[in-house]
Amino acid sequence: MQGPPADPIARAARRALPATGIVLAGLTVVYAWVVWNAPPDRVQGVIQKILYVHPPLAFAAYLGFLITGVAGALYLVRRDDAYDRLASAAAEVGVLFATLMLITGPIWARGTWGRWWSWDLRLTLTLLLWFVYVAYLLLRTFTEGSERIARFAAVYGIAGLAVIPLNYFAVQLSQGSIHPENLERGSLGPGMGLPFLLGVLTTLTAFLFLLALRVDVGELRARARARLERAWARGEAA
Amino acid sequence: MSYVVAAYGITALALVVYGLRLARERRTLRRELAIEMESNGG
Repeated sequence: MQGPPADPIARAARRALPATGIVLAGLTVVYAWVVWNAPPDRVQGVIQKILYVHPPLAFAAYLGFLITGVAGALYLVRRDDAYDRLASAAAEVGVLFATLMLITGPIWARGTWGRWWSWDLRLTLTLLLWFVYVAYLLLRTFTEGSERIARFAAVYGIAGLAVIPLNYFAVQLSQGSIHPENLERGSLGPGMGLPFLLGVLTTLTAFLFLLALRVDVGELRARARARLERAWARGEAA
Repeated sequence: MSYVVAAYGITALALVVYGLRLARERRTLRRELAIEMESNGG
């Protein structure tokens, strides 16, 4: 496709897509094979294998919200729409991963605790984090293209970052949380380190692939919208 | 086992559907922009 060059972030995303896609395909095959052959947990049994997808989804969601905040800050400093589009794209992909974290968690909880949900601090803050960024997306959906809203969204995205450390350390902060403690080096059983590492790598690669795709689509949408606005302006002038 | 299948299945399905939706929109936008560029003389 010819035409005006894309912004540097969209160009980088476009260039990264094929390589990220190939790495993702390869990692997914190895990940599936390793998880399938991972030893079952002595206490929980097979259901413990959800460990190899649930925390990695949370890490990817955190990364998405972190990028939203950082890109929002850069937008406020440089007033470059490319950063605003990156913030919006990272929030959308981050919410997708957070939603999947909120689905896989209760599935695991139902199989081990016997109930889908518990209103303890970690789970409640996770739900709050999800609502914060769903609200961000709603704000962006209904007010696309407005500079004032882009500035407000940037500040909102930065403020939303405060929930991430609260959410991560909630298990340490609350006494008697039903949610297991955060993983530390050596806390996994024998044969569980590799599938967990592959789970993190595959999920983060999937996140980066989808983010690159979403950034590219965001830039194409902006170009299509600009062309439409120019066409309308020409039509009105005529 | 059904819980594990549900967790992995829902995750894989959601990511694939979202990726395909974006890929389709990307293809459509690129085609539309290319057609418009051609009609405007590049």
